[in-house]
Amino acid sequence: MTRLIIRRVGSALLVLLVITLVVFILSRVIPSDPAVVYAGPKAPPEELARIRTRLGFDRPLPIQYLDYLWGLVTGNWGDSLSTKRPVLLELGTRLPATLELLFAAMLFATVFGIVLGVVASKRPGGVADGAIRILSIGGVSMPAFWLGLLLQVLFVGQLHLLPATGAFSTQTQYLHPIANVTGFPLFDSLITGNFVAWGDGMTHLILPALTLAAYPLGLIARMTRASMLEVLGQDYVFTANAYGVRSFMVRWRLALKNALPPSMTIIGLAAAYALTGTFFVEVVFNWPGIGQFASTAMLSVDYPSIMAITLLGAFGYLVANLAVDLVQARLDPRVRAS
Amino acid sequence: MDVTRIKRGRLAALGIAAAVSLAALSGCSPASSGTGADGGVLTVAASAAVTTWDPVASFSTEALYLGNIYEPLLWKNPEGSTEAFTPAIAEKWETSADGLTWTFHIRKGVTFHDGEKVDADAVVGSIEAARKRAGAAFIWAPLDTVTATDASTVVMKLKYSAPMDLVAASTYGAWIVAPKALAASASNDKYFEKGIEAGTGPFTLKDYEPGKKVVLQAYNKYWNTSKAPHYKIVDISITPDAVTAQQMLTAKEVDFATTLPLENVDSVAKQVGGEVRAANSPFNYLAYFNTTRAPLNDPKVRQALSYAVPYKDLIDVGVQGYGTQSHGPVPKGIFPYSDQVPQYKQDLDKAKALLAESGHASGLTLNLTYASENPAEARFVPLIKDAFAKIGVTLNVTAELFNQQWEKAKADPANAQDIFVVYYWPTYSDAGSDNLNSLFHSSDKPFFNLSYWKNAEYDALVDKAGTLTGSDRAAAQATYEKAMDLLVKQAPGLFLFDAQSVTIVPKDLKVQKFNENYPFTTFFAPIAPAA
Repeated sequence: MTRLIIRRVGSALLVLLVITLVVFILSRVIPSDPAVVYAGPKAPPEELARIRTRLGFDRPLPIQYLDYLWGLVTGNWGDSLSTKRPVLLELGTRLPATLELLFAAMLFATVFGIVLGVVASKRPGGVADGAIRILSIGGVSMPAFWLGLLLQVLFVGQLHLLPATGAFSTQTQYLHPIANVTGFPLFDSLITGNFVAWGDGMTHLILPALTLAAYPLGLIARMTRASMLEVLGQDYVFTANAYGVRSFMVRWRLALKNALPPSMTIIGLAAAYALTGTFFVEVVFNWPGIGQFASTAMLSVDYPSIMAITLLGAFGYLVANLAVDLVQARLDPRVRAS
Repeated sequence: MDVTRIKRGRLAALGIAAAVSLAALSGCSPASSGTGADGGVLTVAASAAVTTWDPVASFSTEALYLGNIYEPLLWKNPEGSTEAFTPAIAEKWETSADGLTWTFHIRKGVTFHDGEKVDADAVVGSIEAARKRAGAAFIWAPLDTVTATDASTVVMKLKYSAPMDLVAASTYGAWIVAPKALAASASNDKYFEKGIEAGTGPFTLKDYEPGKKVVLQAYNKYWNTSKAPHYKIVDISITPDAVTAQQMLTAKEVDFATTLPLENVDSVAKQVGGEVRAANSPFNYLAYFNTTRAPLNDPKVRQALSYAVPYKDLIDVGVQGYGTQSHGPVPKGIFPYSDQVPQYKQDLDKAKALLAESGHASGLTLNLTYASENPAEARFVPLIKDAFAKIGVTLNVTAELFNQQWEKAKADPANAQDIFVVYYWPTYSDAGSDNLNSLFHSSDKPFFNLSYWKNAEYDALVDKAGTLTGSDRAAAQATYEKAMDLLVKQAPGLFLFDAQSVTIVPKDLKVQKFNENYPFTTFFAPIAPAA
């Protein structure tokens, strides 16, 4: 297991290095003057020239790249051209809200995706299977921002059941402020016993989490169904049934455990994909995470922010894949042996 | 071990956990807005991001907040007001007959939020800082010297006559800032970025979460007691997306939203029981022609294209009817706007005739770029394309981020786009020195004149008008009108339309009329619950 981890970390670092080079080149190739982004298009030419020199954009590209790499290692990822604040600080203050949203979405998608996949595999071609197929394909194909808007129209506009936007209501922020312990506001509200804030936060989390969960839920449900059907056709399952083991036990304890590894891979990839899915969801729900920041950075061609977010996304993918591989190794001795 | 009993225990635990969660959630109903109705907290959704808290360097949308925290020497009033200006830090002012000396009398008894008193030295310090390093430092270009002749008098001596009342009322580069803060920021350009502020305005900055929220608190020692804020707290959620702001308003999560999707204003107003309010704004749409190369170096071709544009349709489709066709590049309501400046009306026959006269009867092909992030441009540009097609002009349209099309236009005019659609607004309320000068005055190294048009007669008229604005505004107006007349006839660009500012005022709020001179600022102090 240790050798697996060391190998994976090594290859991850190489991947990240290549990504920094690719993103750096792309960001410099795109026609856009970073000084204009920093100072606005109305800044006079002398001011723009001064800013280019101050920010180092007038140096040769290889020097800029080496400087950037050194900054990555030393924790200086540059300042956002739009907000003028360190990019790491911008990401750091926003990441907890995104991670809470991501965690809630993936938890929902994983649990219900697996359950739906198992239920769908019970009677292939049946009514439940058909309904779950429609739900899965709908979740995968519907654009996240569209789904989010639809959910807002239904649950906010028509049914008046849930809040439309934000992570907490203004009343909660003023009347039940959350003490900052870990930086994760929902978690902090729970551990500090601020149940009013926690309840308010959970209510606000429902719609964005459902929206973000739609795509991975569809994927996980389909993959689980397919794996279950394959496993349920195995001889040992037939044998267990023949021995009179209850079908519930055969399906949920025996077959599911062996059907999970492919779904684990999908869960890992879906989690990393969902990180980019937050870009749209956070805009629609005004969720205070990195997605909003990323959207603004891309529209304004804010190089340092775009590069940081890309690296964060790549890092997320690599971590998710590593976690999936480790879980698979735990579940499946054949992976450990290989 | 009894597997069944363990399983039942686990299921029971799950059930209890679910019940507890549901009980906690059921106690929470969808959040209603802040306590706006009782005068405590006003909640707002605003798209304005903060690029800097430095009032001297400020040159962007943070004017929404700074306009409530800081004050200039005087405020420019909306068009049609009884008085052109409202005194602020300056109680009164006068200018010499030649317009080269401006004297401002500083109000007594005003304090900065940090407790320092406002005097002539503080004003001089602010102006000197702005001259040196403001984002909009160029507005002080006419200034030769600025001195405090006594504790309450500031005298500006100019190199050439200029409208210093308009300059001193600018939304950029004219805030009066506490001396200690100015001194600190002189040696540390990140001084203000922690959210420090040093103004005299009706609000202080209580809290700032970058990209998320700005909270303003009423300043309890505000000098203008008759205009003290009604709401003690203004909680502004930074909401870049207009549709999201709409959702917040209709769900009553906020009392007011500064930006809403234009296509939905009528339905949203009905939903919230509010009033749609449209007013002049300094924003307008124009399109530069690249006059450095054929065929757009021929005025007849440019005039032909000007006759082809369906101006009314652009307004109806682009901004849902909330706009007026431009009379040149100066927006309605801003000096030196004049409705006597000619306009083109769509006349396809005339357009074709002009094209034939210029030798392009068989048609031609042009490239146009517009800002992909501007939804109005995305809506109206196809109408221009269709209209041009009717006169035999094929328009290849490319949507690019503004920064990218800007870069393309500036890099090499020989390779730049033929037509560059621009959304523009003047830095302060003198569109003569801004729009007419910056956009079309010739220059060896153009900064904003991305039509690269050069016309000595136009330059002379604009230069002359600029020298008259400070001493004889009527003469300046007349001279600018001659310049605009020439400009429209030569058509180095398409002067499309002046966009209006559109807001929804909820029925339970009283909101001050929009001031086109401060387009990014909603003044929160006058906002109060409707009686």
